[in-house]
Amino acid sequence: MHDLLPHIPAQLNDVFGSIPYFMPEIYLTVLFLAVLVADLFVGRRSVEFCKVLACGGLLVVILKDITQLAQVQTASYALFSNMLLLSKASVHIKLIIDVLSFILLLYFTWDDKLKEHIKGLSDLYTITIASVLGLHLMAMAINLLSVYLAIEMVSLASYLMVAYRSETPLSSEAGLKYVLFGAASSAIMLYGISLLYGFSGSLDQLADNSIVQLSKVNEASASVALLLLLIGIGFKLSFVPLHFWVPDVYQGAPTPVTAYLSTVPKIAAFGLLVNILPPFLSDTSWKGVNVGQVLSAVGIITMIAGNFAAVLQSNVKRMLAYSSIGHTGFALMAIVTFSAQGLSALIYYLAVYALANIGALALASYFSNILNAEDVESYKGLGLKYPVASVCFVIILVSLTGIPVTAGFTGKLFVFSAVYSVYQQTQSVWMLALMITGALITVVSLFYYLKIPLYLFLKRTENAEVASEKSYNLLVLVVIISFLLILLGIFPDLLIKHL
Amino acid sequence: MNLLTLLIFIPVLFALVIVLLPSSQRGSFKYITLLATLIQLGISIYIYLNFKTGAASAGINHEEQFQFVHKLPWIALDLGNMGKMQIDYFVGIDGISVTLLVMSALVMAVATLASWEIKSNLKGFFLLFLLLDMAVMGVFCALDFFLFYLFYELMLLPLYFLIGMWGGVRREYAAIKFFLYTLFGSVFMLLVMVGLYLSVNDPATGSHTFNIIQMMNPANYANGSVFSAAAHQTILGMPARTVGFVVLFIAFAIKVPVVPLHTWLPDAHVEAPTPVSIILAGVLLKIGGYGIIRICLGIFPEIASSGAFWIGLIGVVSILYGACNALAQRDLKRLIAYSSVSHMGFVLLGIASQTAEGVSGAMMQMVSHGFLSSMLFFLVGVVYNRVHDRDIYHFRGLGTQMPQYTAFVMVAFFASLGLPGFSAFVAEAFTLAGTFKSPTVNGLLPYWMAVCGSVGILLGAAYLLWTLQRMFFGKVSLKGGEVWKIALTDVNLREKLALIPMAVAALALGLMPSLVFGKINDSVLALIQFLQTK
Repeated sequence: MHDLLPHIPAQLNDVFGSIPYFMPEIYLTVLFLAVLVADLFVGRRSVEFCKVLACGGLLVVILKDITQLAQVQTASYALFSNMLLLSKASVHIKLIIDVLSFILLLYFTWDDKLKEHIKGLSDLYTITIASVLGLHLMAMAINLLSVYLAIEMVSLASYLMVAYRSETPLSSEAGLKYVLFGAASSAIMLYGISLLYGFSGSLDQLADNSIVQLSKVNEASASVALLLLLIGIGFKLSFVPLHFWVPDVYQGAPTPVTAYLSTVPKIAAFGLLVNILPPFLSDTSWKGVNVGQVLSAVGIITMIAGNFAAVLQSNVKRMLAYSSIGHTGFALMAIVTFSAQGLSALIYYLAVYALANIGALALASYFSNILNAEDVESYKGLGLKYPVASVCFVIILVSLTGIPVTAGFTGKLFVFSAVYSVYQQTQSVWMLALMITGALITVVSLFYYLKIPLYLFLKRTENAEVASEKSYNLLVLVVIISFLLILLGIFPDLLIKHL
Repeated sequence: MNLLTLLIFIPVLFALVIVLLPSSQRGSFKYITLLATLIQLGISIYIYLNFKTGAASAGINHEEQFQFVHKLPWIALDLGNMGKMQIDYFVGIDGISVTLLVMSALVMAVATLASWEIKSNLKGFFLLFLLLDMAVMGVFCALDFFLFYLFYELMLLPLYFLIGMWGGVRREYAAIKFFLYTLFGSVFMLLVMVGLYLSVNDPATGSHTFNIIQMMNPANYANGSVFSAAAHQTILGMPARTVGFVVLFIAFAIKVPVVPLHTWLPDAHVEAPTPVSIILAGVLLKIGGYGIIRICLGIFPEIASSGAFWIGLIGVVSILYGACNALAQRDLKRLIAYSSVSHMGFVLLGIASQTAEGVSGAMMQMVSHGFLSSMLFFLVGVVYNRVHDRDIYHFRGLGTQMPQYTAFVMVAFFASLGLPGFSAFVAEAFTLAGTFKSPTVNGLLPYWMAVCGSVGILLGAAYLLWTLQRMFFGKVSLKGGEVWKIALTDVNLREKLALIPMAVAALALGLMPSLVFGKINDSVLALIQFLQTK
């Protein structure tokens, strides 16, 4: 005990020194408590109050993120004795997560089905704020311990959100499935972490000698340990073969929660990968499995499986679930470049994908509010009755497909450029295979994305009458999203030059 | 204000007017669209008249020789160690594009006149029509590959909806088939485009550029880059430049279309409403031919030479296969669709010959086919609108029933089959002359290809004359009996207004081919020169 005493001042100094770089997270913690308490004391009007409080608070957090941007322009900081890493990329990811979460918080009450929940939505706001805090940590975590804690924090919040409206059997089933798969995968990850810790003697994989230590054990066992860790992250990213929970959960969960699940945790998980993988790639002493090749193979399989499975779906949410698997595969293509260019392409691609996906699910809510149905066949002939929403739907789906002039296309272009420039240097067959698959699945994805415009506009309807009640809030949201997607399609440098 | 920019974006301005007008004004939409296309036609004729000729303004691989150039920096990104990405809004024309612009503008005006038949969702139709118009003009003017690709892809969505919403019975199938085919070609084009821009450096700024003209200069390719001619890189064991050429060629060949990538065309043409068929046949097919000349030949000239035999072979197969298929059709619109496949084969044959005659003939064929196929589809639309049938065997003796209509049909048919005095004759004669010359001049194509091309003309005469005989000669005998007889009135004033300019254009180009040749000659010669020196 006594021999540790001299370290304490240094440790304390490190903690205090880290706090100024931890302001957004501190604000989030305070906000979480405030929303929680407000929910308890405000009574009947607590939903509106919590909504305003949560959204307002998140705006403050966004401001804090922006001030943080200035801090990280030139340097990265390791916080709390190498638990967290505050880098330019992580701040960008945090900023994108917060902006998207802000949109999602607004969107929660606009979905009729979720709004009808007997207990109200105030708890949902508390849970979401907590999960945003977890996502922030995920984007910065570099120590295996903080990685596990961050992922678990997000997972616990997600379990609650998926099962939030559990009156329907489908929703309960989805919730249970998600918890079971989630628990199993985090157990596997924890096993992997403990193996890595046992092999290397350190939880800090970025530490200088950690990889050296790791390479002293049997290659196969070290590789297995790393793959087990990847499985835990892969569950969050939902790449093949860890994707099987996605369709059921996305379909069963309330639509705004699906919008949440399919976007922000994915972005954070990619941020996590970016943080923890470099030592296994750049350190020459690592003799185990080639992470780049593993991720390339996974990416190719994910793109193919996700997109081909989506072709067969007729439920809009289920289709978007498979398509989001496909997008994960495409984003993996950007990550295997492990270059600065690839990183900014990845962040741009994810931001644009998330925006479009939220838009698509908001429109699913919009039509579900009108029709009380989520099947694409029930959209028959609605295009001319709801022209604004339908045109926005087309724009959003075109962006998801990646056709000009939309942000989805520029995202695709940047990813291809990044992969190509690596290919030009290394002549790696994997890169080529990734690009060819990426191009091919664009054609496949068109097939199912176009199903929605097909039913909206091309099929003619027999039943003329549908309820004319409209959700104007959702309409405004999707119009703004569509506008942004086209704007970024024409002027991508508005966003990418900051990344 | 730059004239080309104005030409491209005028439809958008008018589209905004249509968006803002309430639906109660829907009767005026067609007039607004017509006004837009007429202004466009006016601008394009002005550009045509003021287009300078001479070896100093040939264009092709000399940026300074392009005319009506408008160049604005658009997207500039710092890619870290990969250098800079430079995308410009860069439009300009040389002899290759100028005649196609005038042709497209005229076809667009005629297509608007054909849109009088559209009765439902007028707002949507004319908005999509104007969007398509913008994209088409943009493709012919763009000199930045990124801009070109943007316009190229921008055509797909409006066409999907135009075919899918206002088309015939199998419209959904036809629309998705068209979309998937074209997208399949263009996603791989995207990969080559990215590869090209990462290989090419702008000598002035040193950054990676999408500038098509810079891509034509081998000196601009970075050392060891994928598409550098000196580096001899391979992709999956094949020479990279060959792969690049083939991918781009397939993308454009789907558009042309060539056998065996043509199967979307009969479906799309048959299901599309008349104005869309006109645009498809008149303008969109030319984008394929234009892309091959400007991009495939321009960027990969040495591959175009070594692969000329195969390009010519594909052309010949298209000519013969399209003509044979046309012979077998009972649906008049399908017949004309297959005749398009056959006629566009001449474009490929001419390009493959790489002689001044052949390439001029190919250019002429594109312009001529633009007018003639539009006229043919318009004529089919006339009958179809009246009786909603276009089976060849359901009509007989239309010559006495609709004399003026028959006169127009005869002009269009005889012009298409290559009667001297009409544009198609000049085009096909020049193409074949170039093909016959090729074995002795550059040895790219064998004689039998020219012979097969001539046989194609013969087949063309066969199916067109046979159709004329079946439908228009003899005693009046219609499947619909008296009802049809009353419905089948002769062409009205609007239809004449649309048909006469086309007929006059076909005749004028036949009698005075210099209208086209005079403008394209310098560019064609520069292109041949460029292909020989490479």
